[in-house]
Amino acid sequence: MAANKGAGPQVIDISKLNLEQLTTLKNQLDQELQFFSESLQQLKIAQLKFNESGECVEKLTPETKGKEILVPLTSCMYVPGTVANSEKLLIEVGTGYYIERDVPGAKDYFSRKIKFVTEQMEKIQKIASEKSKLREGGCDLVCFESQSF
Amino acid sequence: MGPGALQKKLEEEVEAYKKIQKDISKTSGLRTQLDVQLNENKVVKEELDLINEENVVYKLIGPALIRQDLEEARQNVSKRVDYIQQEIKRHGNTIEKLEKEAEAKRENIAKHQQQLQQMMMKQAANT
Repeated sequence: MAANKGAGPQVIDISKLNLEQLTTLKNQLDQELQFFSESLQQLKIAQLKFNESGECVEKLTPETKGKEILVPLTSCMYVPGTVANSEKLLIEVGTGYYIERDVPGAKDYFSRKIKFVTEQMEKIQKIASEKSKLREGGCDLVCFESQSF
Repeated sequence: MGPGALQKKLEEEVEAYKKIQKDISKTSGLRTQLDVQLNENKVVKEELDLINEENVVYKLIGPALIRQDLEEARQNVSKRVDYIQQEIKRHGNTIEKLEKEAEAKRENIAKHQQQLQQMMMKQAANT
């Protein structure tokens, strides 16, 4: 079996590795796959949040100005209020900075963020599936070698 | 050097090696954290570059949102990005240095182990 560990500066023929090294390799790949799956989950959550925010912004149209809303003061107390300004929105961009933008600007921000997160997810997905294939190959080799004992 | 003293020296070397390994993983962790901060600050910088003077910028200082001047905010974030990049480079250098030390220790340990083994075999042959 001439499956390679990976293209790059270090190409190791995994059929040359003994059982112990194969198991170590398989464990390492398992850990990496675990990390990737956790990252993917977090990215999915981020994507959902940005989606939600984007949808909220869609609801804020010029007609909503002056409409009655319930404003949360604490996690279990709301007070009635009216929408004073449906033009300007404060967006948290990170490291404690908040930027005031108008509705189209805010929509643009969220769609850019969603695009960014989706791209990262696709990148991770690709790498994760390559690692998964390697792990499968390693697994097969381990079974093969342990059968021949 | 008798086998007892050599054994002791070997143990000391292994302890030192373990400490270097711990330092390496600690510095690596710090470096990963800095990477995360760098990315976050880069994102903020991009956003600040996209807006113009009519968009107001606020900074969260404690529990209060304080209005910031756009130019000032841009400069602050730029400076932070540069600082973090410098720190990352510094940590990278530290890690490189520690890894070279670890490599040297590894070779030392292997050498001592070999010496010890030879001494044990000679002792066994003499008895």
